[in-house]
Amino acid sequence: MARYIGKRAITGVVMVILSVCINFTLIRLAPGDPIRIMAGTDNPNQAMIDTLTKKYGLDKSIPEQFVMFLAGIAKGDLGFSYVSHENVVDAILLKLGPTLMLSLTALIIAVLLGTTLGILAARKVNSWWDKFLCGISYVFDSTPSFWLGLIMILVFASALHIFPTSGMVNLRVQSKGLGRILDIAYHLVLPVTTLVCIQTPYYFRIARSSVLQVMAEDFITTFKATGMPRKKVFNKYVFKNAMLPTITVVGMSIAFLFSGAVLIETVFAWPGMGRLLIDSISRRDYPILTGIYFIISVAVATMMILIDIVYGIVDPRIKHDQPST
Amino acid sequence: MGILDIRNVNIRYTTQDGDVFAVKNANFTIEEQDAVGIVGESGSGKTTLAMAILQLLPGNAIIDGEIIYDGKNLLALSENELNKIRWDDISVVFQKSMSALSPVHKIGAQMEDVYRTHDSSISRAKLKEHVNGLLETVGLPERVYNMYAHELSGGMMQRVSIALSLLNNPKIVIFDEATTALDVVVQEKILNEILDLQEKFRLTRIMITHDISVVASTCNKVIVMYDGEILEAGDVDDVLLKPKAEYTKKLLNSYLNIV
Amino acid sequence: MKKFFKAIADFFRPQSPSRKAFFERVVTAIKRNAQLRIGLILLAVLLFVAFGAGLLTSRSPYYMYDDLKQAPNSTYLLGTDGLGRDVYTMIVYGTRVSLMIGIVAASISGIIGTMVGAIAGYFGGKVDRFVVEFINIFVMTPSFFLILIIIALFGSSITNVMLVLGLTSWTGNARLMRAQAISIKERVFIKSAKVIGEGNWKIMFKHVIPNGIFPVIANTTMNVSGAILSEASLSFLGLGDPNVVSWGQMISHGKTYMSPAPWISISAGIAIVFTVLTFFLLGEGLKNVLSPKLQNVQGGE
Repeated sequence: MARYIGKRAITGVVMVILSVCINFTLIRLAPGDPIRIMAGTDNPNQAMIDTLTKKYGLDKSIPEQFVMFLAGIAKGDLGFSYVSHENVVDAILLKLGPTLMLSLTALIIAVLLGTTLGILAARKVNSWWDKFLCGISYVFDSTPSFWLGLIMILVFASALHIFPTSGMVNLRVQSKGLGRILDIAYHLVLPVTTLVCIQTPYYFRIARSSVLQVMAEDFITTFKATGMPRKKVFNKYVFKNAMLPTITVVGMSIAFLFSGAVLIETVFAWPGMGRLLIDSISRRDYPILTGIYFIISVAVATMMILIDIVYGIVDPRIKHDQPST
Repeated sequence: MGILDIRNVNIRYTTQDGDVFAVKNANFTIEEQDAVGIVGESGSGKTTLAMAILQLLPGNAIIDGEIIYDGKNLLALSENELNKIRWDDISVVFQKSMSALSPVHKIGAQMEDVYRTHDSSISRAKLKEHVNGLLETVGLPERVYNMYAHELSGGMMQRVSIALSLLNNPKIVIFDEATTALDVVVQEKILNEILDLQEKFRLTRIMITHDISVVASTCNKVIVMYDGEILEAGDVDDVLLKPKAEYTKKLLNSYLNIV
Repeated sequence: MKKFFKAIADFFRPQSPSRKAFFERVVTAIKRNAQLRIGLILLAVLLFVAFGAGLLTSRSPYYMYDDLKQAPNSTYLLGTDGLGRDVYTMIVYGTRVSLMIGIVAASISGIIGTMVGAIAGYFGGKVDRFVVEFINIFVMTPSFFLILIIIALFGSSITNVMLVLGLTSWTGNARLMRAQAISIKERVFIKSAKVIGEGNWKIMFKHVIPNGIFPVIANTTMNVSGAILSEASLSFLGLGDPNVVSWGQMISHGKTYMSPAPWISISAGIAIVFTVLTFFLLGEGLKNVLSPKLQNVQGGE
């Protein structure tokens, strides 16, 4: 087990280095001059350009810049934003809270709801209830999240005035303590509901199909033959076997949480990582982009190892088998 | 009347292309401590017939007739009533032993769960002793108790399946192609052990097989099936030495040719 | 598999008996599979709209009328947008853009996935290990993020969008094809082809890929949905091709007029849901219909 985890850890590190490498090169190769944006005017003077170029190390070659970047990472320093001149780590940490609040809440609800409905549908496969849930899941799967968000705003905010249209807090009423928590929760309702609608079908289908798959296994016939009540077979044996795929998928979803829900954050003007990302792209704010990418890579690698550890506990086959692709 | 009576049993599967008959008008009686071989090629209905006894057939199977055990028609019992008979009176050793148990639960724990289904009063220590005793009886080391299915070989898993079938001290054990997947040496050994176990546990045994040599060496009664019908049935010595049906002769010839 | 090809060949030969049989098999497959049935009906509607756009509207999607933000009425069936363009006409012509982007992007991913998967699975060894590791790492990169960066930095022409969407979605196809190739290469007819002296590449194209392509076809159909959704998302974020009319851009444009003129975004959104659902159902249906057939083909060899 330890050796296996060690091996996965090495793969993880290689993955982080590789993806940062690709990302770094890609961004630097792109057309568009960040200095002009930084200088802020259409015709900046040469002295200003020179100072800025030097300050951000843009006079060096791309390999040199990459080495500087790696040296920075080793010290926990991801550089400074071209635009706001903030420390990248600080800028990202500031947005991480709101993003996790939104995406994690939605993920937890979607996983619980989707898995429960998936199990219920699988237990009554081909019933009208199963068909109804499958039909709904197809429709929500085909719905663009940003559009659903807009419709939610149109209906529940603009027309019915039940919920706020956007943002995380009411800027006119600066509340503190419990009031602030309630205010944020109030602002969370629409974006979370949108995300839940979009993500639930995914977990629904995984749970449904893996329960059906496990129900067709030979050992289910064995337990049936032994006279074990169906409920017990299901709760103890089907459940544990069928939850394995969900564990993997949830793990990966948690890893990608860090990049934020770009579209939903845009629709609801939620001050999270997704917005930061979009803004950084349009402003050519390379340090922020590279920083976000680095953090996502680390998160993915870490989650990958965590999933393996969890799997090692729940699935005894893992210690021996090669991980399947 | 024997321990198990099969009366006018017809089994068909409903499919989108219409009904498919798997067993046609089967009639036979099994006496206590008989060793009955049901022999036939794949598709002859032998497994369908055997699985019908405990109603382990897929949902699209329709069974008519009567299967009488201990004065009760098994086909007329409710799920709960049938669950009492399953394993406590009649158990099965399945063909695919590698996948006969859950891959993510320990073997000992699964066996204990099965036992407790029928007898929840037993103490933990006693139950563990019982399971380990059975594992030992079928020639498995004690550590198997804490192992998982994938950690065992095909032969070992087959022994686990046999131990599992004896767990609740049944009267009848159905062996469904129980040794087909094993290599010849292991098959020979396990068949011998099955003979010993039958003696020891005073079992009535039903052997489903396509291999007439298995019937010849381990059974005293034989039922020959072809295309869902019972062609002939009787004592092994009578049927194998003086076969009446053409098909039985063919089966015997092909076996003799191999030997 | 030969039977399958023969069936197709016979089908095109006039008055062959198997033509009827083939038809019957297709018809029973469609009859039995609700997803496929609904998907095909929806696809027919989409294709009719895409090819018959000129019949359905005489207007141009780019022409700006003087009536801005008109609510749906008898002149403008679905109203006009903030620039006075006819929303109905934009929806009709947007079908072409969405279908093209979806189908081209999915085909790129299908071709790359098939090639990479077949090579890895058929040749095995180091090539296979490299491909598997590469896919493992590729899957772990946040693809939408990557697409965003590439489109934002390298330009958002429709060609770029299709290329990037295709190049970032092939791994699923590669995995399916690889698994197929691994099982197919062990079968007798491949081994006999080798004995006859057919080259590896020839075997791959003549036997391995045609025999293993079915799951890839189903998955590629599904990928059309994914590509259409991704394009809409890019357009919504302002990263679509400004020279074409696409549904994503209509939603993005309509967002500004959400309260006074909700019909712009609503109709474009419904068009997206309709189209994505079509390919989603088709893909699921194909997956269900093709997989048992595939087993038949394999068993028959």
